[in-house]
Formats: sequence, structure tokens, C-alpha cells
Amino acid sequence: MSAATTPDLSVDLAPGNPHELRLRNPIIAASGCFGYGEEYASIIDIDRLGAFVSKGITPERRAGNPMPRIVESPAGMLNAIGLQNPGIHGFVKKYPPIWARWTVPGIVNISAESVNDYAMMAAILDEQPSIAAIEVNVSCPNIARGGYCFGWDPQMSADVTRAVRSATTLPLIVKLSPGAADIASVAAAVEEAGADAISLINTLVGMAIDVRRRKPLLANYTGGVSGPAIKPIAVRMVYQVATAVRLPVIGMGGIMGLNDALEFFLAGASAIQIGTGIFVDPGLPIRLIDELAHWLDEEGFSSLEQIVGIANEGFRTGERSALAAWESIGI
Amino acid sequence: MPILRVRAAGPTSKKDERLPPVTPSTETTGASREFESRVLSVEPIMGDAVLLTVSAPPAVLSHLQPGQFFNIVTRFSGSFDPLLRRPYSVYRAHRDDSALTFLVRPFGRGSSWLAERLPGERVGMLGPLGNSFEIPDRAQRLLMVGGGVGVAPLVMLSDEAALEKLDVVFVMGAANESGLLSASELPDRVEYVVATDDGTRGHRGLATEVVADFVQWADQIYACGPEPMYRTLRAVVEPQRINRRPSIQVSMERGMACGLGACLGCVVETTHGMIASCVKGPVFDLDEVIL
Repeated sequence: MSAATTPDLSVDLAPGNPHELRLRNPIIAASGCFGYGEEYASIIDIDRLGAFVSKGITPERRAGNPMPRIVESPAGMLNAIGLQNPGIHGFVKKYPPIWARWTVPGIVNISAESVNDYAMMAAILDEQPSIAAIEVNVSCPNIARGGYCFGWDPQMSADVTRAVRSATTLPLIVKLSPGAADIASVAAAVEEAGADAISLINTLVGMAIDVRRRKPLLANYTGGVSGPAIKPIAVRMVYQVATAVRLPVIGMGGIMGLNDALEFFLAGASAIQIGTGIFVDPGLPIRLIDELAHWLDEEGFSSLEQIVGIANEGFRTGERSALAAWESIGI
Repeated sequence: MPILRVRAAGPTSKKDERLPPVTPSTETTGASREFESRVLSVEPIMGDAVLLTVSAPPAVLSHLQPGQFFNIVTRFSGSFDPLLRRPYSVYRAHRDDSALTFLVRPFGRGSSWLAERLPGERVGMLGPLGNSFEIPDRAQRLLMVGGGVGVAPLVMLSDEAALEKLDVVFVMGAANESGLLSASELPDRVEYVVATDDGTRGHRGLATEVVADFVQWADQIYACGPEPMYRTLRAVVEPQRINRRPSIQVSMERGMACGLGACLGCVVETTHGMIASCVKGPVFDLDEVIL
């Protein structure tokens, strides 16, 4: 039993930041799928997690989208919750005192429609206790640019990162959108702009049609696809980004078990997030911590760090892509 | 069999009074809410539906209240399809035998998988979840209105009401006689009134048409069924109500992911905003639901 917990699972996700973001293990509950922590506190031992990320917080409170907000898809789901949340002021009033009761680091995910609003929220969070880091969701429409998604453009992603960086000294994770045409370029721009770590992937935009009603199933028409169905896309993007930057990468997308988790670590992720997997299997994150330690021990590794990126030939070289040209477009 | 008190206990804050109180999740500790059940029996009922009886830990049963539900895995382990759990409210609690019964009608892939289970097989459970039907302190006469498989939580509520010697009229509607619940499924003291679309049994027409005769008799009305039924119910009951009494507690059916209030995929639009039906529901006061 003691042998199973021997390998060092700890990881610092903000090595360039004096605050550090040192986690006792690399298993993080993903934004949107873990509420604000308390929803799962009666189901799992939350303090065993490496960290958790709050639902997406916006400058003002949002009622969210009309129903239906969720549709199942093959080995996955689509969601269009519409960022229902109490707003940044409602958040800081209620949750930091609750988070203070736990030892697990709590990370706040923020979303906005302007660079200034991102910075405003970061400045408010900077003054709060019990917040370990900020995760910036750049998969939002930039109103000043006609609603074009921040995260699809390296420059716009960098602008958000720079503004948040100057508003806070907290560890700063930027969560990339898989809708970017060249995700490695976005990652490199975000690194240059001062991010401490990069997380990916957010959901992919999808749609399902109700054939009987002859209309899209979701009230919002489109929604984010998540779950095992998107895992290969996520692993590929983590591989590409872990090549292009030297920052720690946090991988996510369809992780349902140890083998999935290992794929992400081998591709270059220093930590992973579990999202949809928690919905269907609340015990999964804690189980993964134990299974990961056991696997490392069995395979003769003394730390998680030893396996990060070992399937990735260009890991942390800062090259645009270690993949050959034809491989990179999947042929 | 221990009597389960389902009456509201203790004072609640003013804000909470407007919606049925949330069942305190701290009563059922940690891992006990996620567990694996063994299928004990599968019996046909109401045409193509089945009564699925599964094992459950005594701790789960001791806290269970009528109207609460379980989020059930409806696939084999190792498969990711269909991915999401399916919410089922409890049809009957067998406290002495540590077992639960669910009413399952094969409709989509998840329910079909569940209806095909055999005794001895394992099924993953998360629950009990959500709030519950409340019996107001002064209520003696309870009217229940069920449509199709929506009768499930009302059967458990009837069981508990019968133990408390309350008077129950149970109205059920179905397309035809074969879709009805057998009277033997309900406690003896419950008056069972049925309606069928084709008139093969009881009143010819909708269950809600029968309801009008009992509104003034009832201290409290409970309903579970499709949303169009709630619209009709509201229209039938409203002209006879005095000071918004009797009120109508309805169980809102929503597809959901987590069942714990984290995803906010199962919200119900109410006069107080978008409310997660998995934690502050599934039972709502119909006056507060925007249909």
C-alpha cells in the first residue's frame, strides 16, 4: 500500500511566478463541471484533488441560456449552459470563505467580452484570499471585433493575457480554444504575453438537429462538444502546444480513465483536467490519483515528471511543430 | 417498517420558504451516495414498462424521501455510450429489504438498456438526489395526479401517506387500460381513479378532467407527468382555488448530466430565475414554475 504512493506526483504549474502553483498531484477538476467545489464536497474528498477550477465567472451575473442546454452525442455531450453565474462580485462575496475551509487550491475561471473586463475581474480576484490562480477562458466573443472569438486569434489572445497579467500577480493559466486555426501560434503568443501555464482544450463547437421538430436540439442552436469523442483531437493539440511552448501545459478532453490520462502526460501535459468524466463518474479524479501513482511505481518511475512529454519528440523545443508537414495535417 | 416523516422539519429562511427546501446533502455521507446496486428482480408493468428492483445500502434508504431520484449509469462498464447517467425517481422503497424499485419504460437508448437488465447484474447509482415532496403539517387529504410513468414518485409518496393514515385520491391517466397501474400496486386505503384516452377503463379522456371533482376536497395536490399535463392541471385547478390553496407540487422531468447542481444543464425557469432541478428540484410549487 505504501509503495503505491511512493512516486512524486507533485507539480508546479507556475514555475516562473513567485506565487507558484504547486499541486500535490496533477489531477484537476475542470471548469464548468465541478460547480464551485461545494457541489461535490459531499460526494468526494475534495482535499485529495490537485486543484479544482470554478465555473466560468463573468463581469455581471448571467441567467444563462434557455433550455434545453444539454444534448447527448455519441460518446459525448453538447452543452450550451450560457455561463450562468453570479458575476464577479457575487462570486467574491460567497465563495472565497467556503474555499478557505479546504486545503485544495481553487482556481477561478473568467470569461469576458472585452479586454478591459478581463483585466477588471483579474484585479478584483487579485485582492481575494483563498484563490490559487486564474484561468482565462479566451473562447469568448470579442465585442469590439464583431464577436470574433478571442481564442481563435493569436494577437487577441495575447492582448487578453497581457491585460490580465498586468492586473494581477496570481498564477495565470490561459485556456485555449480548439477552434483556433493554428493553436500552436496562439499558445506561443500567450506565452510571450506573460501566461504562467496553458490549458487545453475547451469544447469544440457542435450542433445536433431534432429531426422530428426539424430544428436544432439546443435552444442556443450550437453547443460545446465534450467527452471521450473529442479525446484524440485534444491529445493532438496538447502534443502540438507542448512542442511550441516551454510553459507547463494542462491537458483535457474526454479523459475517462488512467490510459487516457497517460496519453496526455506522454504527449506533454504536466497536469490534466477532468470535466465531463466527473459528471458520469464522480469518483474518477480521486481514483486516477491512486492509479497514476500505482502505474508509475509499477513502471519504475519515481516521479510524474519523468513521463511528461516522452512520446513527444519536440517537447518544449519551442519549435512551431515537431510534426512533419504531412503528419501535421493528418495525412 | 419505520415510518418516514416527510413533513417539513424546522424553520427555514424566508428565501427558502418560496421553494421546497433542499434536502441536506450532509445527511448522507461521502461515498455512500455513489454505489453499485445488484438487480434483484425485473417485472413487467403498465404494458411495455418494467419494475426494476435493485439492492441499496441501508444508509441510503434511511434518508430517502418521496420524490428524490437516482442518477443511474445506463451502459456497460468499459462503454462510453450512452455517456450520461439517467435520472429516475424512486417508485418504491423497501426499507426492510434494503432495496429500491424504479419504473422504467424503454424509450431511448438509456432506458432500453436499463429495462433489459437481468437479476444479478450490476448497475451504477448516484443518489438519493434532489429535494422531495412535502406534506404540509395540517394536510389530511392528498390528491395525486400521475401521467404514464410519471406515477413513479407518487407511488412512494402514497406508501408514506398511507403509513401516516392520510386520505389519498390517486388519479392516473394512460392511453389505454394496459398502460395503467394495477390497483394492487397502491396501498389499500388509497382511492384509485383512472382515465384512459380510449375509454377502455374508467373515465374516457384525460386524468386532468377527473381532477376537477377533487380540487375542493384536497388539502394538497401532487403531480408528476409531462409538462403539457401541468398546463392543463393548472387550468383545471385554478378556478376552484381560494388563496392559492390547495397548492400543487410537481416533479419536473429534465435530462441532466451531473445531478449535483454543478453543470446547470437541468434548470427549470421559475419566478425566481433559472433553478437547477437536480438540487432545488425536481419538486417545485407549480405556482412558481414558468411553463
